[in-house]
Amino acid sequence: MAGARLLRILARLETGAAGLGPARLCEVCAEVMAMTGAGIMLMSGEVARGSICSSNKVSALIEDLQYTLGEGPCVDAYRQDEPVLEPDLADRGGRRWAAFTPRAVEAGAQAVFGFPLRVGAARIGALNLYRDHPGSLDNDQHADALVLAGVAARAVLGMQADAPPGMLGAELEAGSDFRFVVQQASGMVSAQLDVSVGEALIRLRAYAFAHDRPLAAVAHDVVARRLRLSDDPAPGQER
Amino acid sequence: MPKEALLVRTLVELADSLVDDFDVVELLSLLADRCVDVLGVAAAGVMLAAPEGDLRVVASSSEAMRVVELFELQSDEGPCLDCYRGREAVLNGDLAAADRRWPRFAPVALDAGFRTVYALPMRLRGAVIGAINLFGAGEDPLTAKDVTAGQALADVATIAILQQRVASESRVLIDQLNTALTSRVVIEQAKGVLAERGGLSMESAFEAMRHYARDGNLRLADVARGVVDRTLAAEAFSAPRPPRPS
Repeated sequence: MAGARLLRILARLETGAAGLGPARLCEVCAEVMAMTGAGIMLMSGEVARGSICSSNKVSALIEDLQYTLGEGPCVDAYRQDEPVLEPDLADRGGRRWAAFTPRAVEAGAQAVFGFPLRVGAARIGALNLYRDHPGSLDNDQHADALVLAGVAARAVLGMQADAPPGMLGAELEAGSDFRFVVQQASGMVSAQLDVSVGEALIRLRAYAFAHDRPLAAVAHDVVARRLRLSDDPAPGQER
Repeated sequence: MPKEALLVRTLVELADSLVDDFDVVELLSLLADRCVDVLGVAAAGVMLAAPEGDLRVVASSSEAMRVVELFELQSDEGPCLDCYRGREAVLNGDLAAADRRWPRFAPVALDAGFRTVYALPMRLRGAVIGAINLFGAGEDPLTAKDVTAGQALADVATIAILQQRVASESRVLIDQLNTALTSRVVIEQAKGVLAERGGLSMESAFEAMRHYARDGNLRLADVARGVVDRTLAAEAFSAPRPPRPS
């Protein structure tokens, strides 16, 4: 019965003093689904805008890979507006996501699932679930995930509900990672190379890809002034 | 039906009503009716705070209850108001001994046949969005287990209300979230541009923009956009501290 499933999930959310912040929301997602880890990515207009939460380091990496590489279960789930299931990543994931798969498997993800976060007709991102052993979701789990994705979407929007005009909700500001460091680095690189911020971001991505590093890590180095892109030759050029 | 089973059925129906996209008023009417069945009280009612902060009667299990609840609001005293304002449950309120606590409300409630009152807060992240009123007419008082069950009903109803409010305003909220994020993205990019041009820390770059915006009576988001677009020269921003050598 739809109500019983929804009730079981709603009852895990908390009211009271602390309420439900981003961190606890992801923990609840992982617990309800009996997954090794869960994460929520915020997306808009085909672009990943940040990580609402991740329940552990591997989930955070899974999101980071998708943010950096632009491919993966959440990216697909959001774009196609339907669940994306890969119960045996090591065996079959390579055909779907050539760059994402080996890095995710190396980190310990053996099964990954992405569910779009929907409220009504609108999509705001995707729910990431992973397990450290291969295996499919059974029918009950699949149904739970669909309900959970809807509840999580509303919970995320609920965190924006009381924000002053033009500003992010306090819980999102405090608990989520919108990778502003990447934006700061884009600004710095745009000034260093005298290019637009859009071009600067492309250069940062190219550097991250060429050196097989997460985009956010490269950005941290730029902001900390450990790295200047103008010192690096354009890909394909000899120094 | 045993109490626990009825409680579970109530909660499931509440959740069912969400799935079918019922009205909040219908949901809370169901809740009030079921409080009577599950908790064994004579009457139950639900009050929710309106956006302006004043409480409104949203649901009552009987007409007598509704009249008393309306009177509570009119006379500005009573268990639900105490619960809402104090943000704490009111338990075992003995109406016969309440002439000091609720001098106008108590006699009216007693006249209507009620003897004991309880009020349970509907809490969300520290704020109280309403309260559930439970009125007894001389039956056994609520046990601690009953109170816990009542609070569980209140908590799930609270979450359900929030989820439904969000769903009904989702377009607006999504726009607000995207707008807020986009503004921040531009501000963070602008911090990077100024940090590089002026050899500033990100904090100093941000402060410099804030000062500029304030002095020129401009919106911070517009100033940031100008920095990123190069329509505002980085040199126009005085550093609060001398630039550090890069």
